[in-house]
Amino acid sequence: MKVGAMKVEINGESREIDDDAETAVELIRDGLGLTGTKLVCGGGVCGACTVHLDGRPVASCLLPATALDGHALTTVEGLGSTPEHPFQRAMMAHDGLQCGFCTPGFVMAGSAFHDRWRAENPGARPDREQVTAALSGHLCRCGAYEGIIAALQGACAGEFDEPAGAPPRVEAAAKVTGSARYTVDVTVPGMLHGLIVRSQRAHARVDRVDLVAALAAPGVSAAVDLLGEDRTVRYHGQPIAAIAASTPATARAALAVVAVGYTDLPAALDVTGAEGAPVVYTDKAQRKAAPSSAEGPPPLPTWWDGNVRGPATISLRGRRAVRMLDAAAERADPGYLAATFRTAAQAHTALEPHATLADWRADGTLTLHASTQAVAHLRDAVAARWKLDARQVHVVAEHVGGGFGAKTAMTTDTVAAVELSRAAGAPVRVVLDRAEELIDGGSRPGTRTELRMLTDGDRLTALALDTYGDGGVSIGSQVAALGAFGYGRGPRRLRDFDVVTNIAPSCPFRGPGGAPFAWAVEQGVDELAHRRGEDPIALRRRWDGNRKRHALYDTASALPRWRNRGPAASGTGRFRRGVGVAAANWFYFLDGDTRVALTVRGGRLLARCAVQDMGTGSRTVIATAVGEQFAGVDVDVEIGNSDGPHGPMSGGSRTTPSIAPAAVAAARLLREQLRQRVGGTAAGADGVRTASGVRAWPEVLTTCEGALVTGERGRDRGGFLVPFLSMDHMRIGRGMSGSVQVTEVEVDTLLGMTRVLRVWSGLAVGRIWVPRLARNQAEGSVIQGVGFALYEQRLHDPNTGEILTSNLEDYRIPGIGDTPEIDVHFYEQGWEHVPGGGIGLGEVATIAVAASVGNAVHHATGWRPTELPIRPDRVLEGLAR
Amino acid sequence: MTAFITAAATIGEFRAGGTDLSERRRSGRSTGPLVDLTGLPGLAEITPTPDGGVRIGALVTVEQMARDLSGYPALAATAAALATPEIRAVATVGGNLLQHTRCTYYRNPAFSCVKSGGDGCPARTGVAHHGVADDRGPCVAPHPSSIGMALLTYDAVVEVSGGPARTVAALFGDGSDGTRDHQLGDREILTAIVLPPPLPGERGAYERATSRRFAEWPLVEAVARISVTEGRITTVRVGVGGVAPVPLRLVGVESLLLDGAPDGPLAAAAAAATDGLRPLPHTAYKLPLLRAVVLDVLHRALTGPDQDAAGAPRP
Repeated sequence: MKVGAMKVEINGESREIDDDAETAVELIRDGLGLTGTKLVCGGGVCGACTVHLDGRPVASCLLPATALDGHALTTVEGLGSTPEHPFQRAMMAHDGLQCGFCTPGFVMAGSAFHDRWRAENPGARPDREQVTAALSGHLCRCGAYEGIIAALQGACAGEFDEPAGAPPRVEAAAKVTGSARYTVDVTVPGMLHGLIVRSQRAHARVDRVDLVAALAAPGVSAAVDLLGEDRTVRYHGQPIAAIAASTPATARAALAVVAVGYTDLPAALDVTGAEGAPVVYTDKAQRKAAPSSAEGPPPLPTWWDGNVRGPATISLRGRRAVRMLDAAAERADPGYLAATFRTAAQAHTALEPHATLADWRADGTLTLHASTQAVAHLRDAVAARWKLDARQVHVVAEHVGGGFGAKTAMTTDTVAAVELSRAAGAPVRVVLDRAEELIDGGSRPGTRTELRMLTDGDRLTALALDTYGDGGVSIGSQVAALGAFGYGRGPRRLRDFDVVTNIAPSCPFRGPGGAPFAWAVEQGVDELAHRRGEDPIALRRRWDGNRKRHALYDTASALPRWRNRGPAASGTGRFRRGVGVAAANWFYFLDGDTRVALTVRGGRLLARCAVQDMGTGSRTVIATAVGEQFAGVDVDVEIGNSDGPHGPMSGGSRTTPSIAPAAVAAARLLREQLRQRVGGTAAGADGVRTASGVRAWPEVLTTCEGALVTGERGRDRGGFLVPFLSMDHMRIGRGMSGSVQVTEVEVDTLLGMTRVLRVWSGLAVGRIWVPRLARNQAEGSVIQGVGFALYEQRLHDPNTGEILTSNLEDYRIPGIGDTPEIDVHFYEQGWEHVPGGGIGLGEVATIAVAASVGNAVHHATGWRPTELPIRPDRVLEGLAR
Repeated sequence: MTAFITAAATIGEFRAGGTDLSERRRSGRSTGPLVDLTGLPGLAEITPTPDGGVRIGALVTVEQMARDLSGYPALAATAAALATPEIRAVATVGGNLLQHTRCTYYRNPAFSCVKSGGDGCPARTGVAHHGVADDRGPCVAPHPSSIGMALLTYDAVVEVSGGPARTVAALFGDGSDGTRDHQLGDREILTAIVLPPPLPGERGAYERATSRRFAEWPLVEAVARISVTEGRITTVRVGVGGVAPVPLRLVGVESLLLDGAPDGPLAAAAAAATDGLRPLPHTAYKLPLLRAVVLDVLHRALTGPDQDAAGAPRP
């Protein structure tokens, strides 16, 4: 619809606007270029697009552009190019952000609430309930809610009326002012807009992809085929082709005229009917090409039977374990437990969608702006796929709006953008919409685990796990295998199966396999403790040989909420409270090839590394590691560019233990080089000792412009777990991280709602480089675990295989009102063999959360949930039994 | 009046706040031209009527309703509980009544159903967890209007430009017409809702059953209005949503309570909430849930303070 000329006051300036955008967000982002306002859900659910209309926050994705006529519009840019609003300052000081993609929306809603609150309640501090209700129209997938709540309370109480000191996160100012540029915000002259044609069938041979009509449509520059050589689509929504056109609207129009001819094949849409169902992969080559949701080493090779892959078996005296379990079942041993646990598929749904802007130039260079967790790896993967020299390929990701594992590999957006750019001879940007993101943009596979365990009280005597992964066309769920790494060395048989179906694939998601593993095993341990009438922490302490986790058990046991928790199911009222515990461990991965370059520039230090920041704080970690070696010196950090020295993928919790030691190594090298330059006798954190006294670093730097060193990550003391194994730069280090979660819930036995009230999260990951950011990431891990436990569930239509939860209304992630009060406790010893003494925490901190919720629900009600999510209907059904 | 005639004569789908329609434009359930109603005069106000009631213009926002209708606590509480602050700031009461179903199949362009101009209902053989608990017609999606549910308990009348005024019950029909979410004629424009005066000393309560704390469409919801005179319940009205293709008023529950003592057996009355309902195979869980929500609002409307057992304020 043509809007016609409108008069709008935009950020204080009267403007005449003539734009045919239908909604305000399109006008603001595409028409006015004010990209601080983000478009995420398009349905008014997430609030990322919030702006002020006449001073009141509204969702601009639902606001008709015509509604702006005659009114005053304020975007985040209108609050100022520096963080001047008290709530912006408070967000920086409380670190109420991670990736920053939702931040402008929160800033707009919070600033409006702040202004109104101060006018109506001068000097008062709003309570948690008031601020969470005010911000209930906003979602943060990183889970930075604790910081946001504290920030809004503090700003309203007048604590941030003056500028505060340096924020804990170095790029915070760019994120709270909306000036941080993400891939979806990048435009270049002549840029085309690419869209993807997706399968309308769950399983079909594609006989014809007719792009002629689309190519003839006005504004269309290129159309490319994306289908593999076997010309088969195996899930509803699978990419088939892509087109590029001058505007999003012309691209949408052209998409509608692409004709795809299908010959339908019978589809396998249900894991329970997989036996005798149509076969998804009919030959070895197809099976080999199946995508995997595993992280780290590739899934163990195994055999296939129709759609069932496996078992991939890891055993410690496995036959003995089964014999012991069978005998225990036979004699009804009180220490024997058998139960089935199920988890739902959980979507990553990072708020910045997958996006790539590809510019393939005639000179052979290919520049990509990509929302990726791995600029260096993506550069290499792109070079390999299109047979380019890696030096011709440049991958840029200045800011990344979340990833959680879904942006580690080369994804469809990148393939489509590169192919289209080559075909069109122009830069092309491909941005997935929220539905695409929720269909195949990434998910953790659903699982069913058959658990059998036996104890004689003192130890876990025998264990058998059979896990059936439900990752659609993908394999590699790897759940049962994790049973090899904990609770002693008793006999155990661990078998992983994947049941493939014609449903969209999964991919690695934060601690892949770990959360479903803990959901089954940690509830099993809890149940055995309960039957024995024993404290579940005491039981774990006896079974678990991990010394670092013992330290966490000791602290957890002493918590008043644990000591005073009372017997299970002792409440009688409508609202029943319970406290549950669960533990986890995880691998220690690192990228041993990581290097950080450090140079003196303008009296400051500049650190460079081809790492990226998806919200976990890579810039701040490098700045901190360097800054500790150079007192008083300002450190600039340039990351997010594959041209820098090699950096790690942000995945497998490997970023910090890779970049921090490399940054320290660089700083030490530079200190030595500068010492020699100025003729000093020794160099310390404060400066260079010379005959005439200590020369402080800021002064030394002014004389050493251009000095340059490169520090290397180096080896751990004692080497790595598998000395010669390096998989795409990844190495497996010695030792495993540990976590213990103590969780308090309240179950509404009338309406079936479960609320998580408080979580104590104990983490044994060694030295913490940046405490506030580490706490933020740990809090976010808890919140994602709460989502996994209570709300999140990817659903598909059983008749067509189409993903139904394709928007953020139907796919439910935790909101700010669902945030428990979270205490994060770090046990910092036990990693002395790692340079710097600490490892990553993003995965281990989320794995045990859902299991601790399940155990708390059992403690509150006496009913043990076995299937995720713990929905109200399941609670009511369980309590009625 | 001319403005209404001009609007009605313009080809296109009517748009007020746009909070439902903008989403349907994205999901392909609205494709034609649009006619903005936001400029129509006199529709954005709440005005007193001569008999002591109020006339709520169709363009009054949900936020205004939540804030400015303190004489109608059940309605105000319902308005305050729906959607998010950003939506409530611009969503209109007229749009709330006339919004389309939130059914995931309806909003997904890959599917066709009786409501989107096709045949049948893919939810019946698909995922219908959020479907109705009373199967009344070809469409199994519950009606999305919480405000419509609340208005049913007030004998409210809607005024219509281009047609006669009608009751809210008549606006929605009986739920057997699966092709549409309301029974307003094509070129009719809903202009206002007229409420009778509040009851003396009336109390109200609203509750929705959800997974999350805020901002989620209800599995089931209920609203109750009660007034007690000289130790007897002299008026009681109960409305429920999430149950049928239209909002429902539970006359059966009301009749069990009327003239009774306020400390009488509420559970027995609430148990009647599901009498005669015909759930789908996947929505049988809604029956106990509905009884629970009805019991909760009755209890809270009678006992007053909106508090839960632990003393924390409820949303």
